[in-house]
Amino acid sequence: MSEFSLFDKTSSYDGIYMTLMVNRIQMLYFAIIMPVFLIDPYMIWVIIIVGVLSQISIFMLSKWFNSKYAFKGYGGFVELFGERMVRLLSFIGIGFILLKVTVITLGYIEVVQQFIFPSVNTNWMLLYILLICWYVASLGMANTIRFIVIAFLCTAWMLLLLLNFLFQPFATIHDLFPLIPYEWTMKSWKGVLFIWSALSGPEYLVLLSPWFNTREKILKYMTIGNAFTIFEYVFIFIASLFFFGSHYVGENKFPLVEMIRYLESPVFERIDMILISVYLFQFVFAISIFLLLFYGATRITLKKSKDQTTRSGFALCCALLFISLMISNELLWKKATNQNILLELEMWAGSLTYLFVPLVLFISLKRKGRV
Amino acid sequence: MFRKRKRKSTGVGDRMKNSTGKAQNTPITIEVLRERVDNMEDAEIIEHQTHNNSTIIMVYIRTLIDIARLNESVIQPLRSCRNKNLSECISASKITEILMVEEAEKQLMRGAILIFDTDENQCCSVNLKDSLGRGIETSETETILYGAKDSFTENLEQNITLIRRRLPITALKTEKFTVGSLTETNVVIMYIEGLTNPKFITIAREKIQNINYDQILDSSQLAAFMEDHKHSVFPQFQQTDRPDVCVYSLGVGKLTILVDNTPFALNAPINFFHLFQSPEDYINRWIVASFLRIIRYISFTLSLLMIPLYVALTTHHYQMIPLQILFVLVETRSQLPLSPFWESLIMLVTLEVIKEASLRMPTKSGQTLGVIGGIVVGQAAVEAGFASQILIVLVGISAIASFLVPNYLMSKANTLIQFIILILASFLGVIGIFMGIILLTVHLNALTSLKQPYFAPVAPFYGKDWLDLFIRGPLHWMKTRSESLHPLQKWRYSRRR
Repeated sequence: MSEFSLFDKTSSYDGIYMTLMVNRIQMLYFAIIMPVFLIDPYMIWVIIIVGVLSQISIFMLSKWFNSKYAFKGYGGFVELFGERMVRLLSFIGIGFILLKVTVITLGYIEVVQQFIFPSVNTNWMLLYILLICWYVASLGMANTIRFIVIAFLCTAWMLLLLLNFLFQPFATIHDLFPLIPYEWTMKSWKGVLFIWSALSGPEYLVLLSPWFNTREKILKYMTIGNAFTIFEYVFIFIASLFFFGSHYVGENKFPLVEMIRYLESPVFERIDMILISVYLFQFVFAISIFLLLFYGATRITLKKSKDQTTRSGFALCCALLFISLMISNELLWKKATNQNILLELEMWAGSLTYLFVPLVLFISLKRKGRV
Repeated sequence: MFRKRKRKSTGVGDRMKNSTGKAQNTPITIEVLRERVDNMEDAEIIEHQTHNNSTIIMVYIRTLIDIARLNESVIQPLRSCRNKNLSECISASKITEILMVEEAEKQLMRGAILIFDTDENQCCSVNLKDSLGRGIETSETETILYGAKDSFTENLEQNITLIRRRLPITALKTEKFTVGSLTETNVVIMYIEGLTNPKFITIAREKIQNINYDQILDSSQLAAFMEDHKHSVFPQFQQTDRPDVCVYSLGVGKLTILVDNTPFALNAPINFFHLFQSPEDYINRWIVASFLRIIRYISFTLSLLMIPLYVALTTHHYQMIPLQILFVLVETRSQLPLSPFWESLIMLVTLEVIKEASLRMPTKSGQTLGVIGGIVVGQAAVEAGFASQILIVLVGISAIASFLVPNYLMSKANTLIQFIILILASFLGVIGIFMGIILLTVHLNALTSLKQPYFAPVAPFYGKDWLDLFIRGPLHWMKTRSESLHPLQKWRYSRRR
């Protein structure tokens, strides 16, 4: 049996991969449900402002990529924080990864259940998706990162379909008013938090830095990715405002998918079924990356980072993830109130990681630089 | 417990050699040679008296040499020659002195004649190999309307000539290897020095040298040993019998591997998209060529997904079918006892049986089979209530579409994948189909050919190579060679100073 190496640096990737990864990792489940949480048209400005703020995190992350520690991977983190601290951070990171994977996976499965297979047992769907992700991840980190090109090419074009809604007779400019908020409520703050959380994800890419070779222009590539995401968010939100209007957009759980249902094709009546299935590409990519990070973090926590990766260890991690996701599905996701708690938790968790991971790395680098 | 044991023997041929108990590098004597050719009816040992009254013994295998050339180049000159030096009597371009019996044996089995001078106690060999084989014919596997018509034959030397005539440069290098302990097949690697990335040559060289098997009868067997991923359904070497395809591949920085006694050469490294390219792409006008190439990709997708989509839609997602089509579908399917999955599976298996049978049958019977398969089975299946008319139409389109893939091995892989996606579609509908496509792309993404990514230039992404990917760009735009092949010379034209 051949050696099972998941984290071998067999290939190094340039900045374009960083652009694609930043973008696709910001376009997961929260992008689908975004209009529900934003509702008011003035949130267009909020998306842009939060997007610009996100650029600060991106800037701090790029500093990490430019540092000498980034190339060393795990060794770099140990040099910066010490082994004990890295193990502690890994342990905490496992929880955050688990929460993110839970929300994006169960969220996608719910969309599939609602629009494609109303009678499907979601646990089976969860198993199938995780099996695919297990296969993708088992091919190693280098191959999984490379899969982003396929995931991007297969999913990015779907945005063009929304163009249709901008030129419909029912789309009037009045749907975009008021552009200036009359009042700023708690709900508006929640919207800000939601957008910030939706933009989270690139902070996990610091763990993949040994696989990237373009260090000088990394900020440029990450900025392009972030800018494209903001453009997509604004575009989706405007399209949903045109289609539903701000009074009705909050009534749908998945306004983006509901909109797509109205797209017509001479060959297929329900084009949304195909588009939801196509979305699987980017979910598989993201879950596979998080699966590898989950396994890596577990190894670090258990002080096994220097040992050879094993099939059994990886399979055990996947099984653990499946069991925890299944339990979350049964106990939390299936009940609307609990689901809201989980979503709220992820909103806070995503926001915290996107704020503190770049900040902590940036401060540590500065302090180390001074020492 | 299941640790692999290191193999001690190197192969049947070696075992046979060792079993004779003879030590390697035995000095040559006529007695030893007689012993070696014992029990070989076609082995001839002839004694001949020269004008100088010295005895000459000639040993050869009758079935391997050209008898006319033997008379003309060896026997006649020896009869009339008065010179004492044997090599000066024989009118052959190359006479090799032989010292060891193993070398003599090898020469003998490759169509040489061994000549012993008993007085001088010397032995030499003269190559009189019979150039048995067919002439250069038109390719049957890769037919084109315009362009060169010649194709490779089973003769290795002839195949090298066909390439050398098109590439008359000294930078075109050839390296010879022998593989197969029983067959001792000659394998030649061809590449353009200073253009082909040396990494590919080193990898190919190592892979050929590491082959440890008794029989290598065909280039596909060689490919099976050289492939990076031996369990994949996708070919990782391009097999072709067209010299122009090999020349084009060499010119862009690939290497060509020729195998003796087979008309199919191997080109590597390749990617998935190379298998959709036809030699005619570079002959047609670029717009026409691009259109045809796109049609090929569409056909590949259709042949892969059409039937699974039918199963998914009719089993799980009736709501996806437009109303007018749905009426027809419900009407045609209402009398059928089988589920869409079984209906499709039976029809696809039947189609594969017909395809395989038509390949094995003589040409004239093949036509009859086509009629029986296409009309009788199709019509009868509908009338008997085994299949709907819509499915017959879809199977027909799918079958024709599968023939558009220029590479035969690729179209076979396509068939196999179709069945897997069909099963997924029957269980999970449209999302099952996409799960299949994801698995397929992930697999392709992980494949390599001579350690080079198989799904390049898509993943990894090489933007400039897209000019000759889904379309065939104008030749004057394709100024650089494919980046994914990492050639040592990037530019395809000489820069003016």
